[in-house]
Amino acid sequence: MIDAKRRASDLAVLGGPPAFERPLPVGQLYFPSWDRFERAVRDLLSRRGASHGALTASLEEQLAAFFGVRHVVMVTNATLGLAMGAAALRLRGKVVLPSFTFVASAQALTWAGVDPVFCDVDPVSHQVTPATVEAALDDEVSAVLAVNLWGGTCGPRALEDFARARDLRLVFDSAHGAGVHADGAPLGRFGDLEVFSLHATKVLSATEGGCICTDDDELADRLRRMRGPGAGELPVGGRTGAHATFSDAQAAVGLLSLAAFPEIRANNERLFRRYEEALTGIPGITMLAPVGAERSNYQSVVLQIDEAALGLSRDGLVGALHAENVVARRYFNPGVHRMVPYRDEPRRRTLALPVTERLCATLVQLPIGALVTDETVERIASLVRALRRYAPKLTEAAA
Amino acid sequence: MTSADVVLSYCRRFYDAHQYTNTGPLSRALEERLAALHGAAYCKVFSSSFWALALAVRALALPGRSEVIVPSLADRRVADVAAWCQLKPRWCDVDADTLALSAAAVEPRVSHETALVLACHPISGWAQAGELETLAERSGVPLLFDSVTSSGETLEGRRIGTFGNAECFSLGAGSLVDGFKGGYLTTDDGALSTEVSLTRGFGFNGHDNVEHLGFNAKLNELHAAMALASLDDLDTRIARSRERRGAYEAMLRAIPGVRLRGREEGGREAPPGVIVELTEAWPSGTEETLEILRAGSVDARRYCPADLPALADRTAGSSSRSRAARLADRLVVLPSGDEVSLEDIGRTCALLGHIEATTARPGEGWPR
Repeated sequence: MIDAKRRASDLAVLGGPPAFERPLPVGQLYFPSWDRFERAVRDLLSRRGASHGALTASLEEQLAAFFGVRHVVMVTNATLGLAMGAAALRLRGKVVLPSFTFVASAQALTWAGVDPVFCDVDPVSHQVTPATVEAALDDEVSAVLAVNLWGGTCGPRALEDFARARDLRLVFDSAHGAGVHADGAPLGRFGDLEVFSLHATKVLSATEGGCICTDDDELADRLRRMRGPGAGELPVGGRTGAHATFSDAQAAVGLLSLAAFPEIRANNERLFRRYEEALTGIPGITMLAPVGAERSNYQSVVLQIDEAALGLSRDGLVGALHAENVVARRYFNPGVHRMVPYRDEPRRRTLALPVTERLCATLVQLPIGALVTDETVERIASLVRALRRYAPKLTEAAA
Repeated sequence: MTSADVVLSYCRRFYDAHQYTNTGPLSRALEERLAALHGAAYCKVFSSSFWALALAVRALALPGRSEVIVPSLADRRVADVAAWCQLKPRWCDVDADTLALSAAAVEPRVSHETALVLACHPISGWAQAGELETLAERSGVPLLFDSVTSSGETLEGRRIGTFGNAECFSLGAGSLVDGFKGGYLTTDDGALSTEVSLTRGFGFNGHDNVEHLGFNAKLNELHAAMALASLDDLDTRIARSRERRGAYEAMLRAIPGVRLRGREEGGREAPPGVIVELTEAWPSGTEETLEILRAGSVDARRYCPADLPALADRTAGSSSRSRAARLADRLVVLPSGDEVSLEDIGRTCALLGHIEATTARPGEGWPR
């Protein structure tokens, strides 16, 4: 077992050298090998003008097979994909979504001109459920934006049944969900549409990118025409032009990323299991397993912190890890209902989402992905042990 | 064509740093160079020129007001940006020669509901930038320029990029600075620069602190690499652009009914594209002409979607077609980006010549 912090004074937050030379971020950050990338760029530049959109079309076809859906519409990024989805579905009034999500989920709805209504999440799964949505429903709600978190899911079939019974539209923010299987199917086919992220921090990457999946022919056609510019744009008026095209350069990276997905997933799972082993038995640290998934992509390592048992608050742990160049993150903190501009609306000031508030105060994400090795995992686990061991010294230094 | 070696040498920098987006080193370097190119204090890059405009409109629009003054002859993005920013377009007709807004046309439309004036520089001419600035200052209404097709130009002795509160440009394929896709904003307003810099990244200032309603409008490092390589080559690109324009001028001169718009002697430094007007003498309808061109693999398009000025006229309750609506029907953009060769231009002009020569005029036995 690696144990570089033999004394309290070895901790970076107490003046010792950081455990890692360079900052180690949270985020998958897989990228094709230089040789493959170089070949792809040379090929792309050699046929510019002659093949406009060809790589994007190829990526869409391959992703449609990957997700098991009829239609994939690639767009600039997932946030714009969600906003387009809301506009294409002509959502009006209110849309319920969990506050425990990345802020972009709500921002997309605001840009699409609908009113986000925040609900809580389940205390065990940390995901939105029919029960948590039900608590936020009223007559003005026209849709649900459910989120599939951390390489797990919110149980999409149950939410489909729930939405159908109440005549609500259902959209899934599956930014974390590429390659995840639940309820007998890959994520991609659930609800009216699902949006996946191909941001550099996700398992599939095009540097930036959004992937809208749907089996609805008419909806897919509308999305393609909104994406523009190009043949068959929708008439001017309303949010019918999203200017959301995806470049063939992004597609070139996305195709290589998709080809490497089996290796990416296998590496993530291996590292995930390594973390599980290495963090076992540390009081106050609970590593969360992906929930609601028959097959996860293991894209996140999420810890729940019990301050009393650890001897250190979540924020204290994060600060100390940052000093060691482990850029742990407090996703999500605060809940979106406590973020500008939503928190400033009078009806939200008294909104009580106790599970969300607790999760926002106690969760930490650790790095997993391309920049993480077995040794990295051991070193990070060793740091966590050391921080617990010397917690009283940290508390003393902070006082 | 931008050199693959140069593009890849820039790419190596983000590859080695493992930073593929999120305002990486290449995006920051690009911002510095574009600010210098335009003589502006600040430049911020975005995923597209459209979302640069949208975030700028959101940041600049006067609070509590509901309208944005826009030209009724323009790319559809002016209507789209108003919609996404939840503002109502207040349409304003354009000058017949410049195809752009004049201060005289805008002034009567300024009211207590005016949140912003969005003026566009069409490919073929200029909005009255200086006079619009004077009007904006007098009325207290922010002025934003859609200069999407105007990189590298000068106007009234100043570089484009320093007019109004801000200007937005394209880094899209075919633009003078080509980044595959993207856009940027230039401004001398530090507060505006800071705000749009935050809002393009979800409004975050630091890891957890959201300060504004944001969005994802970030430029990725791959696009930034391409744009930097394109900037390295700018003089050559401008020279080639002038050459393509010159080729169109020479060949279209011989085709009756096609009027090349906008270029005067000693005019724009870096003509960004080619607009032609199909005059009364042109024997075919615009839609039919476009169909024939597209069937011949010419990527021609309308300058302005037909429904945009029609929408403007309906909104104004006008019973007659505005100048913009009449012009919109006749204006066509011909391909002229860096990937277009002189041979391509020759084929395009030959096709136009063929249409002119073989289409019967009214009275010759065929309906037009």
